[in-house]
Amino acid sequence: MSSSADISRPKPARGNIASWFYVSPLVLVLVPFFVVPILVVLVASFLENDAYGGIVANFTLANYASVFTSALTWKLYLSTIKFAVMTWVLSLGIGFWIAYFLVFHVRNQLLAIGLFLLCTVPFWTSNIIRMISWIPLLGKNGLVNSALMATGVIDQPLEFLLFSDFAVVVAYAHQLTIFMIVPIFNAMSRIDKRTLEAARDAGASRLDIMRHIVVPLSRNGIALGSIFVLSIVMGDFFVVKVMSGGGSASVVSALFEDIAVLQYPPAAAAAVVLLLVVVVMIALILRTVDVRKELAR
Amino acid sequence: MSERIDTKKVTTAVDGEVAAPEGVDGTRRSILKGAAAVAGVAGAQAITGFPLIWSQEIKNIELRHVGVSYSVVKAIGDQASKDLGFKVTMQNLDTSASINRFVTQPNTVDIADVEGWQAKLATKRGVLQGIERKKIKEFENILPIFTKGELSGKVVSRQGISPYEAMYISKPDATELHEGVTDWCTFLPQVYNADSIGYRPDLIKKPITEWKELINPEYKGKAAILDVPAIGIMDAALCFESAGEIKYGNKGNMTKSEIDFTINRLIELKKAGHFRATWTTFDQSVQLMAAGEVIIQSMWSPAVAAVRVKGIPCVYAPVNIKNGKEGYRGWCNGMALMKHLSGKKLDAAYEYLNWYLSGWQGGFVARYGYYSPVPSTAKKFLSANEWDYWYEGKPAKEAILDPYGVAMEKAGAKRDGGSFVERVTNISCWNTLMDEAQYMNKRWNDFKVA
Amino acid sequence: MNATQASIADLAKRTRRAAKYRDENRRPWTFWVLVALFAAYVLALYGPMLCIYVLSFQDLRGGLVFPMKGLSLHWFVDLFTQVRTGDVKGGFERSIILAILVTVLTVVGSFMAGLAFRRRFRGDGIVFYLMIGSLVAPGLVLGIGIGLLFQYFGLTASWYTSALGAQLSWTLPFGVLVMFAVMSRFDRAWEEAARDLGASRWQIIRMIVIPILAPGIVAVALFGFTLSYDEFSRTLQTSGPLNTLPLEIWSMTLNVTSPSLYALGTVTTLASFLIIGVCLGAIAVMQKRRSNQSGSQQ
Repeated sequence: MSSSADISRPKPARGNIASWFYVSPLVLVLVPFFVVPILVVLVASFLENDAYGGIVANFTLANYASVFTSALTWKLYLSTIKFAVMTWVLSLGIGFWIAYFLVFHVRNQLLAIGLFLLCTVPFWTSNIIRMISWIPLLGKNGLVNSALMATGVIDQPLEFLLFSDFAVVVAYAHQLTIFMIVPIFNAMSRIDKRTLEAARDAGASRLDIMRHIVVPLSRNGIALGSIFVLSIVMGDFFVVKVMSGGGSASVVSALFEDIAVLQYPPAAAAAVVLLLVVVVMIALILRTVDVRKELAR
Repeated sequence: MSERIDTKKVTTAVDGEVAAPEGVDGTRRSILKGAAAVAGVAGAQAITGFPLIWSQEIKNIELRHVGVSYSVVKAIGDQASKDLGFKVTMQNLDTSASINRFVTQPNTVDIADVEGWQAKLATKRGVLQGIERKKIKEFENILPIFTKGELSGKVVSRQGISPYEAMYISKPDATELHEGVTDWCTFLPQVYNADSIGYRPDLIKKPITEWKELINPEYKGKAAILDVPAIGIMDAALCFESAGEIKYGNKGNMTKSEIDFTINRLIELKKAGHFRATWTTFDQSVQLMAAGEVIIQSMWSPAVAAVRVKGIPCVYAPVNIKNGKEGYRGWCNGMALMKHLSGKKLDAAYEYLNWYLSGWQGGFVARYGYYSPVPSTAKKFLSANEWDYWYEGKPAKEAILDPYGVAMEKAGAKRDGGSFVERVTNISCWNTLMDEAQYMNKRWNDFKVA
Repeated sequence: MNATQASIADLAKRTRRAAKYRDENRRPWTFWVLVALFAAYVLALYGPMLCIYVLSFQDLRGGLVFPMKGLSLHWFVDLFTQVRTGDVKGGFERSIILAILVTVLTVVGSFMAGLAFRRRFRGDGIVFYLMIGSLVAPGLVLGIGIGLLFQYFGLTASWYTSALGAQLSWTLPFGVLVMFAVMSRFDRAWEEAARDLGASRWQIIRMIVIPILAPGIVAVALFGFTLSYDEFSRTLQTSGPLNTLPLEIWSMTLNVTSPSLYALGTVTTLASFLIIGVCLGAIAVMQKRRSNQSGSQQ
């Protein structure tokens, strides 16, 4: 274990400078490509717009008022959060067991790496191409329906497979499970196998091992994967647009419509609100697993 | 006719793919096969039309033309580069990304592809410069629906933002539109069409000529509209007006109560399960129709053609205006000059604009089903058969090929909707930007989450 | 039975269980369930890919869906010669180069940031939450903001400047978070031991920290590449006059989309399998050689 004396020892001034040197690339990217633009957006959200894409330099809270008082906002968030949660459940349920399988059941390390890479190859094909290919897979004339009908399971093609909430969640899960698998895989592979052996020798059942050793030690990975999945789904617009057949909208897809007609201040206000909401969601997740505290012991 | 057949004059085929067709009898088939060969003739004409003396100076110029993929086509840019001697690069973005780019990063674009309503927006934002009417060679040959707002005496509809309304400004740096003809234009029309409904004639046994059929409960669960708020709501408005449920003051600029009525009816229809989908991409609309998932939907003309290429019957409903209702929804894309262009680059831009209207592009997009605003020059690049089919609405005497040589229509087929004159004079409303756009977007999203 | 007997019975049960697991070669039934799950996952993952592979072999008349039309390599040829609309080849090249740049910079940047956060420093909370903010900011709006800034400062937006920065603002938070998780398991004792043995800081990093953190670094590289290659909303307004692949394809969807996209999918899959096969094969050969050497040394 690291020496606990680290905490009580006063920080050398050199440590500050060294840390700032190390964190400088991150800061050099964040400032011009996040901080400044988001400040511009923040300022724009407090200004009026003139219906022709122009911004009038009058301070107003009307944009935020319309965001908070309209029932549409609640419905959009509900819809987006619903997708986020469903995707999270699916990707966690599948991702956890895939990671577990690869770490603990595949004995040959090279084989484990090979199987893992097998799962990543589809992601070398652009996301949009994969999105387009859902139609020949799930459509009425698609592979799935044809296979089901050929084997006699159904006699009418299933309509809900495409252009529905089902299709949206499937597309998200397809795209994002890998973001669950990788952190959980990393976390699990750090678990000392001897701990498991010792537990087994002590006669613990596999369920016990799972509950008391594997899951707590992979908490980090699960939290990380959840953060990734959640933030991507909350910020997405074109998966919902394309896969739901226009049946659903998300917070960002509504933003997209405003931007299409250059209504910047309302879009800015909605963006700022979304930013705050998701940051809070992530802060809550981080509360369960304080990644920073674990790091800077 | 005979001058086109005498392609022996052309020794180099422009595209390099197709050799100059042989044979003095010059069958139309070989001409059809070689759109390149035809272009080769015209290319030679075009090149000699421009001053040689400064072609040396402009070799290093690059014009960036940015816009949507059905109007800013790479093949057109390549052809222009060949004919004009300087580089024309095309960049494709979707409609909303384009207008955002023009307004927030004007220095990265040279020629902007704008719809009529976008030209109005861009002008108000001051990112365009006026196009000098005198410098455009073919200006007088542009269809008067754009330049004068009327055709053969019939005044073109002013619902929505018509190209005529968006076209003129009083001086080159004005930020307000001018009503009436002036010497300065905001944009030059480049490609346009009149949209209506597509349907499966084998699954719907009667001919459709009215918008109200789109909301006919008989087709419940098998209808679709498109997922662009400003367009979708106008299609819906055409349906409700056709069904006699409401009379709009201006379908292209609705009042709040008209918007509420339209959206609430749409929500009702959605909850009743009337719509199978609201489509977002071109291919989605093709897929929905071709697979029979929908049998009637708002569609774009080339999508109908794409369904027919698959061997599945699909008809583009002729929705001529009758009883003060019905009519097509028109749109027009055009080229605008960005404000920062000056000097040699500006000269090159004018050369490009002139080249664009000189016909090659017209012939090219015709085979997609889009019309050229200067039909007289486009005619030079289409065979008589193609002209009859695409523009005159007459039955084709031979098979019609798509821009890449794949047969799409058999001999005897007739284009839906009749001649182009018939279609454009029956336009009821144009693609638009409403005063209540923000409110309309909000209500459209209500429809989406319903 | 009394307490002693109960505890003896319990001990016996646990010993039997332990003895069962001691037989290393026996696979529990759960193994087969997990194999089935894995197979199902891979099948689901490759489902859309399958459609892509099959449909990419259509001939000139082909569309994007079944039924399939003909059998030919037409779309592969089209992919490389670009007869149809869309600059797929150019977009692909730019996306790949951009993704590689982003991957390298993300790995370096996250690794360094991970090192920085190993101890508390002044302002670390602010940097951390700014990073989280950058992760979740809606890309569409941020992209417009970045574009505006470039315009204001008279810089030209392009795929290797503004788009690179925009994508880094998206991938660095991912990378740093992964680094956090990986580094938190890193035992400082090894570092201290190396320091006691006289290694310099750079040597410690090179020979101890990096090799141990290698799986994490690989994860960061993987994320960096995937996120950049598919990145759409931030790149939409920051790409400048040339499109990356996702932008190009998205714009093509307003028009007839050609199956050359599918051909691209097939080609990239073949290329990836080739690269992976070669790498794994090389590793296997090296491992075998190493074990032969150590075997012969005995």
